[in-house]
Amino acid sequence: MITPQPDHHVVIGGPSGSPEPPLVDLHPGRSQMAMARARLALRSFRGGWAIFVESRIGVLSLATIVLFALMAISHPILMATVWDAEVYDPVTGYAFDRLEHPSPPNWRHPLGTDPLGRDVLSQLLSSTRSEFILGITAALVTVGIATTVGAVAAYYGGLVDSLFMRLADLIIALPGISLLIVLSALFKLNLFYLALIIGILGGFGGTAIILKSQALSIRVKPYIEAARVAGGGHSHIILVHIIPNLLPLSLLYMMFTVTGAIFAEAVLSFLGLLDLRMSWGIMIHTANTGGYLLGGTRYWWLIVPAGASITFLCSAFYLVGRALDEVVNPRLRRHTA
Amino acid sequence: MTRYLAKRAGQMALTLFLIVTLTFFLVQAQPGDYATFYALNPDLPAEVRAQLKESFGLDKPLWQQYLVHMKNTFTGNFGVSFGHFPRPVMEVLAERLPRTAVLFLTATAVSFYIGFFLGKAIAWRRGGVLEYAATISGATLFTAFTPAFGLMMIWVFAFKLGWLPVGKFLDPLIWRGAEVSANHVFSYMLVTGAAFIVFAFLVLFFFRRSGRIGPAPLVAPIIGAAALAIPVAWGLSDIGFLALDILRHMILPIVTLTLISFAGTMLLTRNSMLETMREDYVMAARAKGLPEKVVRDRHAARNALLPVVTSLVYSLIFAIDGSVIIEGVFSWPGMGMTLLDAVRSEDLPLVMGSMVFIGLFSLLAHVIVDVLYVYLDPRIRYQ
Amino acid sequence: MATVREAPVLEVVDLSLRYQTRQGEVQAVEGVSFELAQGQSLGLVGESGCGKTSVATSLMRLLPENAYLAGGQVKLGGTDLLPLSDDEIRGYRWRRIAMVFQAAMNSLDPVHRVGQQVIEAIEAHRMETTLADARERVARLFRMVGLDPQLMDRYPHEFSGGMRQRAVIAMALSCDPDLIIADEPTTALDVIVQDRILRELKVVQQELRMGMIYISHDIGVVAEVTDRIGVMYAGRLVELGDTADVFRSPMHPYTAALMSSFPSVHGERLPLVGLAGEPPNLIDPPAGCPFHPRCPYADDICRTEFPDRSFRGDNWAACWHPLDASPLSEDRQNQDF
Repeated sequence: MITPQPDHHVVIGGPSGSPEPPLVDLHPGRSQMAMARARLALRSFRGGWAIFVESRIGVLSLATIVLFALMAISHPILMATVWDAEVYDPVTGYAFDRLEHPSPPNWRHPLGTDPLGRDVLSQLLSSTRSEFILGITAALVTVGIATTVGAVAAYYGGLVDSLFMRLADLIIALPGISLLIVLSALFKLNLFYLALIIGILGGFGGTAIILKSQALSIRVKPYIEAARVAGGGHSHIILVHIIPNLLPLSLLYMMFTVTGAIFAEAVLSFLGLLDLRMSWGIMIHTANTGGYLLGGTRYWWLIVPAGASITFLCSAFYLVGRALDEVVNPRLRRHTA
Repeated sequence: MTRYLAKRAGQMALTLFLIVTLTFFLVQAQPGDYATFYALNPDLPAEVRAQLKESFGLDKPLWQQYLVHMKNTFTGNFGVSFGHFPRPVMEVLAERLPRTAVLFLTATAVSFYIGFFLGKAIAWRRGGVLEYAATISGATLFTAFTPAFGLMMIWVFAFKLGWLPVGKFLDPLIWRGAEVSANHVFSYMLVTGAAFIVFAFLVLFFFRRSGRIGPAPLVAPIIGAAALAIPVAWGLSDIGFLALDILRHMILPIVTLTLISFAGTMLLTRNSMLETMREDYVMAARAKGLPEKVVRDRHAARNALLPVVTSLVYSLIFAIDGSVIIEGVFSWPGMGMTLLDAVRSEDLPLVMGSMVFIGLFSLLAHVIVDVLYVYLDPRIRYQ
Repeated sequence: MATVREAPVLEVVDLSLRYQTRQGEVQAVEGVSFELAQGQSLGLVGESGCGKTSVATSLMRLLPENAYLAGGQVKLGGTDLLPLSDDEIRGYRWRRIAMVFQAAMNSLDPVHRVGQQVIEAIEAHRMETTLADARERVARLFRMVGLDPQLMDRYPHEFSGGMRQRAVIAMALSCDPDLIIADEPTTALDVIVQDRILRELKVVQQELRMGMIYISHDIGVVAEVTDRIGVMYAGRLVELGDTADVFRSPMHPYTAALMSSFPSVHGERLPLVGLAGEPPNLIDPPAGCPFHPRCPYADDICRTEFPDRSFRGDNWAACWHPLDASPLSEDRQNQDF
């Protein structure tokens, strides 16, 4: 080989780009250390970004997510400025200007109205915000738990490790949607509880296993040994050395969790099992219970905007995750160099 | 190998035990008292209530109830369904289970085959138009909103084109006056299908490498003849048209479930292939002057299959969830729809029963994957 | 040795190979020419990254996707292999040129029986018509390399390192090739097994009158098994000569340095004790002789012009200042190799 094969477990982001030498300066100023870390992080972020933008699909998907984020921000602004709450409120509004509902798109209601006379665009935009809140909460909970569990299980091993891993095995053996359906029958689930449950299931489940195996490969790196020799305590090593190196992979699995959370919410709402005010799933549910879905293209505005939003946002997060995978996992890259 | 399988079997028994425990305590934890709810359900006659109360130990402390629940579950006694009164939960599930199994197993097998086939193709020719098209459409289908996608399929193929029935298990108009029940016909269909698969495997097994170089020539014609003989035999029988009706109702759910689940396998196979393609034995296979197709299939893809099979568990569980949704959308009376209906009508015994069986399904997925893996990887087989 | 000249079985003329990488184009092989007579063996030595493996893979046209042949000819029995179509070259691979790979341990597919992997080559080149004959052939090959024929129905993981190596050699011999390329075939083995296999390989090669190209960084090993020796540096062949002559009096300073880096039993001093510096960057190779930055004899012409060949009989070196047959080197004549 002409160029050296990259390390299979090289992790971008965080100070892992090159094994840091903690023994060079025994008493570095804290701010100096932080500066050095920040510089390293920035450099590896730039390197990672360069690889990320090579994937056209990844960039396109990132742009899609940004677009949806803008949509989410636009709703409160529109409600505060041009939209009258009585007409445009996504739940309680009623379009008095139309005689029949659902009415097709027109200049006052760009995506028409639903069977209950509410503006579809307003519903779509306000749901976008809930989807982001749901997705990001679930992803943060998942990754928070999974990173901690993964790092702790890998670092301590033994009983702690096997306990968490058996639990994870149990959770991944369960079909998630089916379990959520059962839970929604037994308890009234709102957006927050749903995010929490999805996050806990994901965090103690498959994501924990993946992050643990990554943490294991970090644990045996020389700089961990060096940190231990230099007198770093358990919590110091876990917090300062292992967890930062897990972050890139955590970020990757956050993307997949967001996809899963939005999808689960939409399915449960569609089946009418959730206690939410408005969401894309509820929009489709409303159309379905009114029997408008099988009207096909005639009532397209009742299903296409919400259905397409679910699909696009889910696949955007999923594809960003996959593009990140190529950054994090050098074996998937096109060139070896 | 025996030890490996024994260990896995032990883990699965534990998992099943935990699932049953989990369902019990979830039901206990729900607001409102299950025991009272059960015992006061007006659907049940007073004497049945009293009898149930005793057999489920509903008047006893929680830990005793739990023990009774465990015993009942493992002896197949899930109680009586509220919604389907007076049928026991077990009877409802026994009727629904094969219907889900057929939907789920067929769709999984087909989607796995398609996904693997496409995945290895796009990895082999990286950067082609096919890769972009397959990745984008695959990821879109994979993350498509399943209910909406299912309804779209119904709208296109049932309403617009009128090729296939809208949903449900059978068409009552065709079955009016039929002398046999749907379950009867369906079980015959299951037996036929299973017999065909066993036959095909036996043929493959016996004719594989009959002492000559190159593929055995008789395999395809024999299996093909059997595949032709089956519809002919059914057509001649007097229940052939009934079976055809069920079959027509099966197509759309299976196709939909296949479409939403093949992409997972495809994308995974692609990644796995990209790794095996760098292995030395693939280079060696090419150096041997083997045709590219053989290098790809017998060496690169064959090894790429191993990690794909390992994570087949996830695809299978994804497909279980998918089939729950699909059954809801297509009104296919299987386990998934049973669960949904039970949840909507608060038929708690049925909810618990179906959850346990869905758990069993995912355990079955684990078993299938383990056996497959042992079969595929000689490093585990000979240990 | 090898004084009788036959028509060359292999003729490599001016072979050049480039790799395209993110950093730029790597000139991995540049203007390499040599010949090989039937039954003759040639050793290619050099440091890692000097292009010796690239030469081997270009002979079989087994190039990675980011490599391309920039020019030259590879004539096997008079036919140039480089312009052949993929289907045509497939007929030459293994049937005419076989290879024992660098990582012989990994060149057996773990999921197929070892015998089956030999049979598939026999099958692809239609060397036998029935499976029984093919198995008989494999049994013969196994016996030839010192393996029990009953092992052919075992899987690679059941073989020890030495057994796998023998199996790989048996596989290379399976289609009676005219030329066999051995790329560091014994590096992963312990010294005793390595030595035994090496000797057996040489015996088989001479019995079957095959041409052999033996690639190694270990000039001592190469000396044991080859008639002629070629020294590569920075993608170029810098010296080519009869093995004994090259050892007795190397012409190129690099060859001398390479030899001195392997300790001799007598411990006598050699012109260069060690070799300072690194091999040059092949993306932007130095002008003139690529060795000049590390060469103690370098002067102005070395820095500007690539050296012509200086001949001494059949042997040559690409050097402006070839070493004489010095008295120090004369001492080495008395040694056995």
